[in-house]
Amino acid sequence: MSQVQRKKYSDKEKNHIFDQEFMPHIDSMYNFAYRLTFDEDDAKDLVQDTYLKAYRFINSFEQGTNAKAWLFRILKNSFINDYRKKSKQPAKVDYQEVETYYNSDDVDYSGTTDLRVDAVKDMLGDEISNALNSLAVDFRTVIILCDLEGFTYEEMAKILDIPIGTVRSRLHRARNLLKEKLRSYAQSMGYDTDGEEFT
Amino acid sequence: MDKNLSSAGEKKTNCSEQSKCFQLLESILDGENIPDSDKILKEKLEKCEPCYRHFHLEMAIKELLKTKCCHQITPQDLLDNIRKKVEEAK
Repeated sequence: MSQVQRKKYSDKEKNHIFDQEFMPHIDSMYNFAYRLTFDEDDAKDLVQDTYLKAYRFINSFEQGTNAKAWLFRILKNSFINDYRKKSKQPAKVDYQEVETYYNSDDVDYSGTTDLRVDAVKDMLGDEISNALNSLAVDFRTVIILCDLEGFTYEEMAKILDIPIGTVRSRLHRARNLLKEKLRSYAQSMGYDTDGEEFT
Repeated sequence: MDKNLSSAGEKKTNCSEQSKCFQLLESILDGENIPDSDKILKEKLEKCEPCYRHFHLEMAIKELLKTKCCHQITPQDLLDNIRKKVEEAK
């Protein structure tokens, strides 16, 4: 969060920004927090903490800019700096380890390309939700930001403090991992995922 | 007939630049501002089977994610607590 004080808002302006620009994003914020923490109480704490920080640092927010991206950035930083530190359950997979493993240019598509569209379309919510939740947090995060919330790569780069090129490649790898999970579900549903024919 | 073409002779069955093509297709699907995106998309989907499959699979997954994973309802007590705490902070 930028500490640069762009402008001092009056109390009336603060209330207006908070109500009109911040609060409309609360459902997306709660969904993001819940998918990061997998716990209702932790998600509530994270969202509440984010909104209080947003109010406290409201003078750092430039009115007319992207409030949703600004709020998501605060929430992401709060999750990393506060929640992860005090959580008894740190991230299951160390991101550096995962990124190093998947950073090869030679991504193996052999296991992912045979998942078929009709199998995906027949999936209920649980399969896709479980597949998303099973990803390491950094891969899960880019899919949430892009596919669920519709942020652009540039906005994601700012939220995550990473270059756009890294956003693109991390998203691509996250999607391959997600497809691997969905392929397992498709097989368990009885779909022939090894067939050549595409429908 | 080129071995890299499908039986109907319409599409390539192998993509020589798969990683690059797939990332480009995903960028187009994500609505990124890619120059000549309509032309690129049309050409790749018409001429390359792996690109065609990848694009449509990614589109189906993206739609599924959007429709199935966005429906957490914010608890009322969270809304109440935020209002209360912000009032206290004023």
